[in-house]
Amino acid sequence: MKKKRKMVMQISRRDFLKYTGTVAIGAGAFPNRIWLDDAIAAIPASEGYLLVDTKKCQGCLSCMLACSLVHEGEENLSLARIQVLQNSFAKFPDDLTMAQCRQCVEPACVEACPVKALFVDKKNGNVRVVDVKKCIGCKSCVQACPFEPSRALWNPNKKKALKCDLCSDAPFWSKKGGVEGKQACVEVCPLSAIKFTKEIPEQKGDTGYKVNLREESWRRLGYSAD
Amino acid sequence: MNGYAGKILRIDLTDRKISNIDTKDYEEWVGGHGMGSALFWDLVKDKTIMGLDPRNVVTIMTSPLSGTLAPGASSRTEVQGIGIQSYPIGWFTRSNFGGRFASMLKYAGWDGIVIEGQADKPVWIDIRNEDVKIKDARHLWGLDTWKTQEEIWREVSGRGYGNWVELGSEERTTQPPAVLTIGPAGENLSVIACLIHDAGHSAGQGGFGAVWGSKKLKAVSVIGTGAVHVADPKGLMEARLWAQAKYSMDLKNIGASWFSRFGRIRPQNVFWKRSEQARLQACIGCHQGCKERSDTGYGNESTCEETSFYQGYDKWKHGGRQTSSAYIATDLLQRYGINAYETSRGLAYIIALLRMGVLGPRGKIQCDLDFNKLGETEFAEQFVRMIAYRKGIGNDFAEGFFRASKRWGRLEEDLKTGTLYYSYWGLPEHGYDPRAEVEWGYGSILGDRDINEHSFTFLFWVPSTTIWAGKTPRPPAEQVVKIYAEKLIPYENNPLMLDYSTENIYSEHMAKLVAWDRHYTRFWKESVLYCDERWPDFINTRISDYRGLTGEGEPRFFNAVTGKKFSFVDGMELGRKIWNLDNAIWTLQGRHRKMVHFSDYIYHIPFAGSGNFAMYYLPGREGGEWKYIRVNGRCLDKGKFEEFKTRFYNLEGWNTRSGWPKRRTLESLGLKSVADELEKKGKLGA
Repeated sequence: MKKKRKMVMQISRRDFLKYTGTVAIGAGAFPNRIWLDDAIAAIPASEGYLLVDTKKCQGCLSCMLACSLVHEGEENLSLARIQVLQNSFAKFPDDLTMAQCRQCVEPACVEACPVKALFVDKKNGNVRVVDVKKCIGCKSCVQACPFEPSRALWNPNKKKALKCDLCSDAPFWSKKGGVEGKQACVEVCPLSAIKFTKEIPEQKGDTGYKVNLREESWRRLGYSAD
Repeated sequence: MNGYAGKILRIDLTDRKISNIDTKDYEEWVGGHGMGSALFWDLVKDKTIMGLDPRNVVTIMTSPLSGTLAPGASSRTEVQGIGIQSYPIGWFTRSNFGGRFASMLKYAGWDGIVIEGQADKPVWIDIRNEDVKIKDARHLWGLDTWKTQEEIWREVSGRGYGNWVELGSEERTTQPPAVLTIGPAGENLSVIACLIHDAGHSAGQGGFGAVWGSKKLKAVSVIGTGAVHVADPKGLMEARLWAQAKYSMDLKNIGASWFSRFGRIRPQNVFWKRSEQARLQACIGCHQGCKERSDTGYGNESTCEETSFYQGYDKWKHGGRQTSSAYIATDLLQRYGINAYETSRGLAYIIALLRMGVLGPRGKIQCDLDFNKLGETEFAEQFVRMIAYRKGIGNDFAEGFFRASKRWGRLEEDLKTGTLYYSYWGLPEHGYDPRAEVEWGYGSILGDRDINEHSFTFLFWVPSTTIWAGKTPRPPAEQVVKIYAEKLIPYENNPLMLDYSTENIYSEHMAKLVAWDRHYTRFWKESVLYCDERWPDFINTRISDYRGLTGEGEPRFFNAVTGKKFSFVDGMELGRKIWNLDNAIWTLQGRHRKMVHFSDYIYHIPFAGSGNFAMYYLPGREGGEWKYIRVNGRCLDKGKFEEFKTRFYNLEGWNTRSGWPKRRTLESLGLKSVADELEKKGKLGA
């Protein structure tokens, strides 16, 4: 008994979440308040994540166009919360990468915001979102995001930060978004190279977020599914 | 102005003057080709100038749908101006390319670019949102198109690909600039030089590479961080998801769908051996890509003709096995900026002359190409480089193979025998031969170029590929013709327009088909810029009754973006107006009915068709019944083609003796000032 207790204590919050799936399930399986300190417990994990297959992506940027369209009501690649970067002259698969917000379990953007404008939206599945009314335009979140390119964006016209909300607030779309609804990028992707999941992806490195979404039928296009 | 940036960039290279044109002044023409023709009409006072004259104006236009989610309509850019490739006159012509240039131009705040004048030394144009500069290009002159682009990327984006790039104090993008450039062929004024964008997008026809070269314009680069405003964002998103789910490729059950008109399973439009380690690659906003990037890095983003340019020779040389030579040869065309159709037909032509003993070591025409290396990379390099740098006989090749043949004194004979496979206006035959698929040939000769618009090629591919495989074509001819006929608004429900039997190909029905195609493409494909690869969608094999998206789809996306209430037929009518304006320009350039004829072999040599094309099937009536009929073995009757021209001119309201537009026709289209100008020049059709 003593040994088991010690092992649980050694599991980081990230690993804990990875193994248990979600906080909700975790809370049911373990008495988490026993060992999670208050500071961390105050940031519950998001209940939704976007996964991408960078080998499947056709580089059409439809996800970016849809993202900008449903959130901003206009087509603007610079305001797309998901970014696809590609190089015409490079070799597959290094010719393209996809940069979606990871809805980090330990979100540096949330922690960096001095006015709590970037917050965990408990009403919408704990997605990390920007409260535009509160945002003071200091760009702390943009700088704090540890990934390249930064997943927190900057709207130079409104002088406010932006980030992926899994379409929980997509005013220019008639579909319900968020963790219990649909996401514009997932819906529009012609090749289903973006997937929504409620499972927490491995947080270390990219492998949890960049996955293989090529099913057997992919081979009928003449491509390897491996 | 939803769908528009609101202004067009005007650049005078002679005076290095940069100014704006208000898009509103040209909004009635909607975008793309319509706007380009109207701008050209206004800005080029003397329409009889040659393509390389500094007064020639090149327009590079977008559409209201550029940069939006409208499927297969976001990416294309329309290029116009007086070309130098066609013969006997370099017609006012067009070309069009995909990728992401048009969208980037819109995001930078421009609906198009108008280029006039001639720089005194090489320049490139650097557009970063509102900031436009004409810059010294001496360090770029001489570089191939790929190196030029990479150099500009570095110059504009610093570290470039992989992160946000700051533009100005606040604006940011992760995207590299979109660059349109010429290669050495354009610099050396080759008639067959292209404009190239990214790895494999090119405006090939017209010789615009040389037009830029003569203007000393190496490249235009654009990077934008702004928006395209959309009238009905919810409607656009809904329409896109509806069209994609209903008509496009079903990943779980991959089969032919939305205008995969070749009846193949796969959407890739490439003819060479493909790698499993590759991605399907699409232009911006496209619902179904047609090109690839592979693990070798060879052949990136090339499609269609350029992928077949060398693969046959490569296989022939290597015992049926394709090597890397086919890809490298294609990449050389892209890098040096050379038209793949000219090199394909041209290489076949000089090989024929070699076999005839006319060219090469035993012939009168000296040629230092080493034909023993045909099929190897080395030969392709030698061939492409001698065109680009006009080395040796390459100086003749660089004029296009029609003019080369003329220089060698062979033109008349080789057009009589068809050894020089150039059907219309001194331009290479596309393959949908006028003797077989007449609407393609008629459209080309009644216009300014090889139309390269595949509105009706499904009618050949579907039955033919099935018959080649020894199966019965589905759907049957009568059903296919009925569906097409329903959609041929404003000439709807006349199936005789699709009867390719020899008895019907000179009829008024066929004239209507050609007119429909010219009007449709002038507006929906060249002005709204729906991609030829995916539109029109007449027959859709994903739909149980095969009825495709055309008719409903085109205006739905257009109206969602612009907020206008355009109907399909409104677009057809505007297409007719644009087509008439183009004919007025050709008339002023010197066109006359008597010039409108095919090369001799079209009238004298029966169409055999090589390879699979020897079994060329199209719908037609036989004994009163609709069938897929074999059209090989026929030539066009010259007299009957003349009768067809009269029918076509009558249908269009053009004078039947000259082919010139009539005042009544022009005025009914709101083109009174065009009629006045023609009258002033003594070119108004009586």
